[in-house]
Amino acid sequence: MGKKLRIYLPFVNAGLQEVSTYRANWIFYILGDIMACFVSFFVWEAVFISTGGETFMGFARSDMVVYIFMSFLTGQIIGSGGTYDIGEEVKDGSIAMRMIKPISYNSTFLFQEIGNKIMEIGIIFVPLVAGVEIYRFAVTGSLKFDILRFLLYLVCCVFAYAINFCFNICFGFTAFIFKNLWGSNMLKNTIVGFLSGSIIPIAFLPGVLKDILTYLPFSSLSYTPVMVYMGMYSGWEMLFFIGLQIFWAIIFWCLSKVIWKCVIKRLSIQGG
Amino acid sequence: MIYVENLRKEFKKTIKEPGIKGSLKSFFKPKKEIIAAVKDISFEVNEGEILGFIGPNGAGKSTVIKMLTGILSPTSGSCSINGKNPQKDRKQYVKEIGVVFGQRTQLWWDLPLTETYTVLKEIYEVDDSRFKKRMEFLNEVLELDGFIKSPVRTLSLGQRMRADIAASLLHSPKVLFLDEPTIGLDVVVKDSIRKAIAKINAEENTTVILTTHDLEDIETLSKRIVMIDKGSKVFDGKIADLKEKYGQMRELAFVSSDENALDILSYAEKFGLEGDDLFAESDGASFKVRFNSSIVPVSDMLSYTLSKINVKDINVKDADIEEIIRRLYKEGVQNG
Amino acid sequence: MFREIKRALKMHRIFIVQELKRFMEYKGDFITGAIGLLLAQLCSIIFISVIFSQIPTLVGWSFNEVMFIYGFSLIPKAIDHLFFDNLWAVGHFIVRKGDFDKYLTRPINPLFHVMAEKFQVDAFGELVMGIILLSCSLPSLDIEYSFMKILLTVVVVIFASFIYTGIKIGTSAIAFWTKRSGNIIFMFYMVNDFVKYPIDIYNNVVRSVLTYIIPFAFTSYFPALYFITGENPLFNIGMTIVVSIVVMTIGVLIWNRGIKAYESAGS
Repeated sequence: MGKKLRIYLPFVNAGLQEVSTYRANWIFYILGDIMACFVSFFVWEAVFISTGGETFMGFARSDMVVYIFMSFLTGQIIGSGGTYDIGEEVKDGSIAMRMIKPISYNSTFLFQEIGNKIMEIGIIFVPLVAGVEIYRFAVTGSLKFDILRFLLYLVCCVFAYAINFCFNICFGFTAFIFKNLWGSNMLKNTIVGFLSGSIIPIAFLPGVLKDILTYLPFSSLSYTPVMVYMGMYSGWEMLFFIGLQIFWAIIFWCLSKVIWKCVIKRLSIQGG
Repeated sequence: MIYVENLRKEFKKTIKEPGIKGSLKSFFKPKKEIIAAVKDISFEVNEGEILGFIGPNGAGKSTVIKMLTGILSPTSGSCSINGKNPQKDRKQYVKEIGVVFGQRTQLWWDLPLTETYTVLKEIYEVDDSRFKKRMEFLNEVLELDGFIKSPVRTLSLGQRMRADIAASLLHSPKVLFLDEPTIGLDVVVKDSIRKAIAKINAEENTTVILTTHDLEDIETLSKRIVMIDKGSKVFDGKIADLKEKYGQMRELAFVSSDENALDILSYAEKFGLEGDDLFAESDGASFKVRFNSSIVPVSDMLSYTLSKINVKDINVKDADIEEIIRRLYKEGVQNG
Repeated sequence: MFREIKRALKMHRIFIVQELKRFMEYKGDFITGAIGLLLAQLCSIIFISVIFSQIPTLVGWSFNEVMFIYGFSLIPKAIDHLFFDNLWAVGHFIVRKGDFDKYLTRPINPLFHVMAEKFQVDAFGELVMGIILLSCSLPSLDIEYSFMKILLTVVVVIFASFIYTGIKIGTSAIAFWTKRSGNIIFMFYMVNDFVKYPIDIYNNVVRSVLTYIIPFAFTSYFPALYFITGENPLFNIGMTIVVSIVVMTIGVLIWNRGIKAYESAGS
């Protein structure tokens, strides 16, 4: 196992260097993305001013801030560029080259991305979590940070990343159908963003919709980790939702294997 | 027609120190270095001439072409083409030139080739009747008929190059700039492109400035070459003169019955040849020797060799232009 | 001058026709993009609806007013996106790969050429959503209509879209010095997220930035305010036009300096 993993180390390293080379570039993109968080922040501030109350559908004002920024952060941590990169390779046909390499395509991709993640998390994770907790401390007057919940959150993130990674690989192969990568990717991100609760907390949605979204795989992506972080779930609930995450992770892992097999078949029949 | 005087182009280059500290340092206080890509080059080109512009990679060929076509502004010096300054009268000027960059295309990638020509017709304000005539002419010279209705992305490299040359000629320019027009093409296609260029030059008296790596382009097309190296001009004149001046190199190839025959011979000591004037390489029993025949006559070389070893076969070769140029490049490196 | 404008319009029409032909070849792709943009807006609208299901007004703004401002903000954005989307490509790769050479060897203005060359059909997603929101919210708003008001609004929308274009020109031109500026365009462009809502929900700092520094507030809030209330046309409309001209001028000045610094690519 150790030896097997070692051949992937160069990919982790490449991922690390990728981010450090384009560091300035990447920070600008994060700043652009984080604008949307601040918009939500101010909208919710206005909502709480308008209601005059301390809670909105069970969320306190400080909860809302934690929710917005932690959803964003979780989205970044579990984000996976598989769709786009695989799509590009499908489009220009270089995907065929992957078949002649002696190592698993998905794994090389995974390890390169882990390299990226280490760098990205190093840059944004600590300041954002610290910022959120300091805000929460300033507003509520007590330290809400719980190390056990935080560790569980990280575990949830790992499962969420696994789901997202496999899902994106599956979606990446739709480039055989959709040629407009920018368009289909945005379409996917919008739908996933909504279904995963990163725009509106799923708890705020009306009855049936709420129930459906709770059990769909998308809530496992960012909603479950964030709710765990915020301590919104009781012990049994937590166990149930993490179980659900594992269930979906397995499903999508199998699905990505099946699709990869189909792709190989298709490539060997039609050529790159 | 074309006058280039002391043309110079300098680029600022940021020097990055390694490591994170270096990146931070160069972010706040970038260290700049000025590099002259083109150093005070002057030359003239007459109307209707085909000028070959050659030099090794990074010599500054493309930079000169880009200044002549108005893409880059020179740091100092001037160029005027047909009485116009490429930078000052850009809009008027570019109507009189056609430009082809071999590694890039100006064709509309996703659309049939004809669409590119209809758009270019509008961009260059070519009127309908002239456009029709022009297309007929270009069709004939460049044989576009077979693929003019196909989307550009489906064309082969050779077809694309022909289409690109046609696009650059649509507005009947007086000067045509071709930057590596035969790059990556096979021998047959290269030949057809050369013929087309020669034909356009002959029929319309179009002045052509051509950069290339393939010296056959130059040998078949142009009588005159300008060679640059490290940004400076190292030769300007007829190809015949070039051969005259530097073409004293001869190559003798021997096949001997002795193994390692070359070891027995000592040309350098015998004739006092050194440096670039002598080059020898051996491959078992056969070996080659290249030498400057203005210092040592071929006959002396031969008789010396024959007196020392048993020779089964002899072959005498003229130095080809490629050899001359390789020699010149080398000289440039040494002097520069 | 007149002849040049006429020629520019003609060229622009030809580019659009070319792009429509391209569109016909890749219909499905463009529709994917347009639906994506439409859905993205729809999500925000559900978000707003959820909020308003619990509160009657958002710091004094009714649901329909918020919807109107939201819809209004999409229209100048969509117009710029539709016509001048290629500026993104300048920041992403046209300059870096040296493809800008092509524009400099053509007898038309390079800025105009590169801007007009693409017609981004995806933008219809935003445009359609904007129009739907306006037409749904308008009947419930108590607005006095006059010919003058409608005319002014139409005119101001065009100027407002130039604020987007001007910002994109200026930020994309940074690539002439740095080789790529897609990230910088993105960062500036995303600030427009703020002006989908009435800007009085923000604190003073954000409001000042949106008004004086990256003046997206003039693409939605101020003109929409005039249309809803009819108040203060001098500022809400007049300033929008002034700001639009200023932004465009700054953008073009940066661009013109940038072109001089253009170094092409390769040897």
